[in-house]
Amino acid sequence: MLRDKRQEYLVALLLVGPFVLIYGALFVWPTIQMAMLSFTKAPLIGTGDWVGWDNYVKILSHKLFHQAFWNTAYFVLLTVIPNTLISLVIAMAVNRLKGPVQGFVLACFFLPYILPVSVVFLTWNWIIDVQYGLVQGFVALFNGGQPISLTRTIPLFMPTVAFVTIWWTMGFNILLFIAGLRNISPEIYEAASLDSAGRWRQFQRITWPLIWPVTALVLTIQLIAQLKIFDQVYLFSIGGRQDATITLVQYVYKLAFQQNKGGEAATAAMLLFGMIIILSVLQYQLLRARGEK
Amino acid sequence: MADIVLRDVSKSYGAVQVLDSVSMHIRSGEFIVFLGPSGCGKSTLLRMIAGLEAVNAGEIHIGDRRVDQLPPNQRGVAMVFQNYALYPHMTVRQNMSFGLENVGTDKGEIAKRVDEAARMLEIGQLLDRRPAQLSGGQRQRVAIGRAIVREPDAFLLDEPLSNLDAGLRVRTRVELAQLHQRIGTTMIFVTHDQTEAMTLASRIVVMNNRKVEQIGTPMEVYSKPASRFVAAFVGSPSMNFLPVTALADVGGRVVVTAGGSTIPTTIATSVAPTVGQGLTFGVRPESLRVAADGEISGTIALVERLGDRTLIHTKLSDGTVIVGDDIGKSTLEAGAPVRLKIDGSAVHLFDAQGVAYHAD
Repeated sequence: MLRDKRQEYLVALLLVGPFVLIYGALFVWPTIQMAMLSFTKAPLIGTGDWVGWDNYVKILSHKLFHQAFWNTAYFVLLTVIPNTLISLVIAMAVNRLKGPVQGFVLACFFLPYILPVSVVFLTWNWIIDVQYGLVQGFVALFNGGQPISLTRTIPLFMPTVAFVTIWWTMGFNILLFIAGLRNISPEIYEAASLDSAGRWRQFQRITWPLIWPVTALVLTIQLIAQLKIFDQVYLFSIGGRQDATITLVQYVYKLAFQQNKGGEAATAAMLLFGMIIILSVLQYQLLRARGEK
Repeated sequence: MADIVLRDVSKSYGAVQVLDSVSMHIRSGEFIVFLGPSGCGKSTLLRMIAGLEAVNAGEIHIGDRRVDQLPPNQRGVAMVFQNYALYPHMTVRQNMSFGLENVGTDKGEIAKRVDEAARMLEIGQLLDRRPAQLSGGQRQRVAIGRAIVREPDAFLLDEPLSNLDAGLRVRTRVELAQLHQRIGTTMIFVTHDQTEAMTLASRIVVMNNRKVEQIGTPMEVYSKPASRFVAAFVGSPSMNFLPVTALADVGGRVVVTAGGSTIPTTIATSVAPTVGQGLTFGVRPESLRVAADGEISGTIALVERLGDRTLIHTKLSDGTVIVGDDIGKSTLEAGAPVRLKIDGSAVHLFDAQGVAYHAD
């Protein structure tokens, strides 16, 4: 059916209009404002004098920024790849189950994902509590029979929070992997078993390459999410030496809300924003290229 | 090259039985077709031979080995799947090499076999492509190629032509027959298409309702169907069936009264059942020719012109419609009266259990 071209445009505009408007007002405009703010000496509220690149020079040479950067990088290292691999293994196991059992087991793994971070924090803070935590019985085996605080011992802090984060978020990754695994036709595995491919070889040559696009997606989503880590690290470090375990978003928070340095906080946020864009685009392109090889 | 023997093979999923005590002996080099309607268990039987489905009872032997407890790769069979089941991320060459790599075949040998199969199937120029870049017919060839390079004792083909368009299906059918002649390996081919079965098979295994109805050459199955089911399922257009109202004995031969006509046959009275057993008379359209001196008279309900022959749908006095045959250039029109002459040597009787009795 032929329609008036102008009418078509009008309808199209009407349909995209609300989104573009809200996206512009709530994301694009504030982002531009933040970029502008990073070049000023503004407090948290109100405007400030233009200082050019001064904030960037200052932040980049700030010791705490370096600390936050390396802590974040360490956290990313501890979560992104392990979370992806564990999720894949669990997804493959769940995928072998059938019918209602599969639904139940999947629900069990997915349940933590729907919990708010405060509940996750309280639950695990209780489990790892140094006096009555369930985990202490296990931890004591590695500490000469003595309990040890997992969130007050600095070298153990990040691995502990990483573990809790993996437990909390893997449900979603498992779901993505299961969707991907179900896309692989069972006939392909039957063909492979006739082709003398054992379990491991089937995984290596069939499952892994065919699930790769999902793996790349999960890795990228994870990378972005973990670079923005704040809640868990903040909650578990309350009352401790927060600077020792500070992450980048926490650093932004500290500058803005504890030190009233709006301009510098914006600068740190811009640096993080740039990092996330570069890293995630780079990673996704690299992973995709690998998949196409 | 090996014989395949099935002994009382049964299969059920929970309470649902899908195969009931199936036995057969497939000779080395035969082209066997499992023919039957959807859900008759033919694909399940093939998958059981392949080792993709467990056998609940009975034995499967390939060559001198009992294989029903062996994993698929140790049975010496290769399978072509309905949807080809090619590895989508591998090139054609990798698809064909995979099975040989897994058993540690020498690289040079793999390349030799793949190139040879590719030449035989005329897919040499496709070796570096992926399945997604191939047409349905090309994928089909690759799937066959993947089976050939393994040099199996038997090829198992699960409705491999059903995803091809009509023209390509006929061409591939011919090529498959030629391929079988050339390599001479046992082939078991599953289909619900009786034309494929008739044209390809050395012997057809007609299956229905969990059981084997008949095993025979295409012409045996066609001209001497073992049961009413086989008679109805094989042949297009289908056989005509008329209830028998009376039987008479004229010189040791049965004379049938059916559809209001008296029809002499060459069925021996000695072997024929007696009336009252719910007898049905069966005759194929090509044995029911338009002729002025025909035994059966009726009115033409519909004329189907196929070019080389004309199908005359004839309404009998009792309202039954049967299909007769006329020459391609038939001038008959619907509504006209017609007489059909039966070839009494090509008729069948079926009792209430569906058991068939044939003319000599």
